[in-house]
Amino acid sequence: MKIITCIKVVPEEQDIVIKADGELSFDRAKPTISAYDLNAVEAGAQLLEECGGDFIALSVGSGGIDNPKLKKNILSRGPESLVMVADDRLKDLDTHQTAKVLKAAIEKVGEYDLILCGEGSSDLYAQQVGPQLGQLLNVPTINSVSKITQSDGKIVVQRTLENEVETLESVLPALVIVTSDINLPRIATMSHVLAAGKKPATVWTLEDIGVLELFNTIEVIDTRAPQQVERKQDIVEGDTDEAIQEFITKLSTVLAK
Amino acid sequence: MRIMVLAETQKALTELCAGASQISPQVEAVIIGDQLKVVADTIWYIPAQEYAMLEDYTESIAALIKQEKPELIIVEPTKRYKLIAGRIAAMLGTTVITDVLELEKDFVAKRMVYGGTAIRTEKVVSGSTIVMVGSGVLQSKSVTEVTVREERPVQFIEPKIRLKRIAREEKERVAVDLPGAKVVVGIGRGIAEQKDLEMIKQLALALKGEIGCTRPIAEAEKWMPKETYLGVSGLIIAPEVYIAIGISGQIQHTVGINRSKLIVSINKEKSAPIFKQSDYGIVGDLYKVLPALIKHFG
Repeated sequence: MKIITCIKVVPEEQDIVIKADGELSFDRAKPTISAYDLNAVEAGAQLLEECGGDFIALSVGSGGIDNPKLKKNILSRGPESLVMVADDRLKDLDTHQTAKVLKAAIEKVGEYDLILCGEGSSDLYAQQVGPQLGQLLNVPTINSVSKITQSDGKIVVQRTLENEVETLESVLPALVIVTSDINLPRIATMSHVLAAGKKPATVWTLEDIGVLELFNTIEVIDTRAPQQVERKQDIVEGDTDEAIQEFITKLSTVLAK
Repeated sequence: MRIMVLAETQKALTELCAGASQISPQVEAVIIGDQLKVVADTIWYIPAQEYAMLEDYTESIAALIKQEKPELIIVEPTKRYKLIAGRIAAMLGTTVITDVLELEKDFVAKRMVYGGTAIRTEKVVSGSTIVMVGSGVLQSKSVTEVTVREERPVQFIEPKIRLKRIAREEKERVAVDLPGAKVVVGIGRGIAEQKDLEMIKQLALALKGEIGCTRPIAEAEKWMPKETYLGVSGLIIAPEVYIAIGISGQIQHTVGINRSKLIVSINKEKSAPIFKQSDYGIVGDLYKVLPALIKHFG
């Protein structure tokens, strides 16, 4: 089976700094793999172990994603090779643009059986690239998948929705979006990291994949830390009977309203 | 201005149509089969097809949108509709703004990004605006009875690809209505054992509230259903009163509750960040405080 897992490179969340004016600073945030995509990588790695074939990781983004440490990190988790479309014109893509660039890159890669995506990106979490990409590729697309099994050119998946769990069968090629609890992503060992350095990684530009124009579907007006609501902060200290009584008295007044 | 509403559940259909009618008098709902009761003035009716999944109507809905060109399409943020809306957007060459927290004038939408660290304000600039809006976002004064002015049939378009459903199983129903509750009691890691939930239930009963929790209580401990965790990738609620019990106040949780009118917290750590975001609180052992509360309010 030929598998392609799509990966988004995101800024390390814990290193994002909120500036005094509420804007965010990414200066100290290193590029990393979007957390939900680790599950899509692991799902690909498990299918490869089970049925053999070919497993490629694919990522598109600004020139900064072409980062040796990051590439090693991705390749140490199971993919046999990595393809990146790294181009500064791909900075801050919206979901429509991302899906379009991924489609062009996948078509250049060639034939495939299964495209895997994570539930959403851990930075913007729009949960839209997978559905849009599946439609652009014109293949069966299933989201919220919590189990994948394959046999005879078909896959059977378990799909966990709000109030029901369904089992679906699909022909290949297909696109599957996995949940964050489908598996527990493996932790790469030293030997995996060393082996990753020897795996092939290809980097393309927009021209290489033949994408000549990209228009915005979304205009971002601003991104800032939410304003904190002013709270009374009337806090009783201690849990003596008197303190608890004082707390109850305060609550009684507000809860009575 | 024309607004089209797409929903999977009756509750969302009623709420989104009522909310949409505050934005424009021309609310149109897309209805598939006879499952849902209509609450819009125009309905687009797609007859139910045998053995069809909701996803099999994607082409039909997309064709309707292409033909009618509503300015705004409001969609219930269920998993099925996240897939359907994304596919429709790809067919139309546009995109979807998901999990909208606020919808302002000119369809400017606010949503949470970077795990709750920031709110992004954005708008669609390519044709129809498709937004996915959760419960409690669109304000409506009251859900009035709307008489259907016209019912228009929509031609079903056979999808190019149909998935085959082999089996389907209802999940155990979680009988809570957290977004609709006036009082919500939230629990976190400060609760020592699962059996202590009995005490929480008594308190919730005394306060006529529902119980929610932090993500670790649902996902790591599995003491509460996944559907009840509050915060990033879980529920966002805005009750009259939120009572945080044994919750430290990590941003991943507080983004789900910081729109509450009043926040009360009980935590033994004086330095817990939750106190900075609370109106009332007590620094103390919840195993002493809760029995006193239950006795007083019960």
